Amino acid sequence: MAGEGGGSRALFLMALLLTASLYGVRQASALAISVTDRECVYEYVFYEGDNVSGNFVVVDHEVFWGSDSPGIDFEVTSPAGNVVHSAKGKSGDKFELKGLRAGMYKFCFINPSSVPETVSFYIHVGHIPNEHNLAKDEHLDPVNVKIAELKEGLDSITAEQHYLKAVILGIATVTNESTRRRLLFYTLTEYLALGCVSGLQVLYIRRLFSKSVAYNRV
Amino acid sequence: MAMRTAEASSAALVRVVAMVAAVAMMAAGRAGAVWVKLPNSGTKCVSEEINAHVVVMGEYSAFYEEDMKDTPTISSKITSPYGNTLHHKENVSSDTFAFTTTESGNYLGCFWVDSNPHGSEVSLNIDWKTGIATKDWETVAKKEKIEGVELELTKLEGLVEAIRENLEYLKTREAEMREVSEKTNAWVAWFSIMALAACICTSLLQLWYLQTYFRKKKLI
Repeated sequence: MAGEGGGSRALFLMALLLTASLYGVRQASALAISVTDRECVYEYVFYEGDNVSGNFVVVDHEVFWGSDSPGIDFEVTSPAGNVVHSAKGKSGDKFELKGLRAGMYKFCFINPSSVPETVSFYIHVGHIPNEHNLAKDEHLDPVNVKIAELKEGLDSITAEQHYLKAVILGIATVTNESTRRRLLFYTLTEYLALGCVSGLQVLYIRRLFSKSVAYNRV
Repeated sequence: MAMRTAEASSAALVRVVAMVAAVAMMAAGRAGAVWVKLPNSGTKCVSEEINAHVVVMGEYSAFYEEDMKDTPTISSKITSPYGNTLHHKENVSSDTFAFTTTESGNYLGCFWVDSNPHGSEVSLNIDWKTGIATKDWETVAKKEKIEGVELELTKLEGLVEAIRENLEYLKTREAEMREVSEKTNAWVAWFSIMALAACICTSLLQLWYLQTYFRKKKLI
């Protein structure tokens, strides 16, 4: 990481850490990305011992014939390079990682199928100034610790809401539309098949009783 | 040699100060965002489903994965669900945007690399805030003259209000969804009855046709 003038990204992170310590950190990212093969999102954990919580929902696309989409795989890699959390074949999941070391964490979504899927995710890094910091920093009021815990609770509610919103919107828009389309298609095919079969039946019976065949058989 | 080190260190200092200023403007009570890697060709898009009349603010900055002296330039385009371009910027390293949504739907922000002289991977830092996270608590604190614990609790109150609004919105969407489900259910029932009626109709038609045909052929 040492360069001649320092790296610009390292500087950015340092500046971020500086401002974070001045202003206090509240990190939450709620976005949706389209995953064709493998998409990774990174989040920087500033303080050691922070909790990272979050969830993701796969907004189902064109499910025409198959019953379920195969879901996607999810992986969290720590800055040291080891996988701290993984889930396979899920269409939606919540995760919580505790007591993390500081650094850049990698959250990867892997799509095993060839159909691109949209994944709506929410990642929240929560920091509670704890007793250890209290001893160091005299003007850190115990009330602030409690307020930080309260904020964490509210953030967890927001995370749940985000999950619910993604699921409901997914069902309301994509699944309902696809259900209607499938319904129409199946019904029309059924009527067409019925008409064809009865027509064929009539033709066959006529042929059975036609002159050339009848005098030989009947 | 000494001059070069002095130059380098002063340049670094200037850059640190510029960075802190940029980030301080960004933070406003909230630091942190998500990073994505931009491919050398092709665009990377992030989206979010947002209601109408919600304030959206964001900033993004591009860096190289390996730390180098210069920064890559990227372009961005943010579109509303109806296709209107809300923000479009080319050839910048970092930028901010802010708008208020007029319609509810899927808002899409796309980024792509313009110039990449080093050819190495470009990391993009995206800070995308909507709703309560965009509220400027500094001005509220100054206007209402509150500070410290009272300010923190006011922030929590705002957050709780936002949660309540979100819940109301979820309730209405869920009610809509249930309505559509029940309509689809009614369709299925009606289509099945129609299929049964069509079946009976076809068989009666067949019977009548065959009777007429056999009578004509003097087989009956």
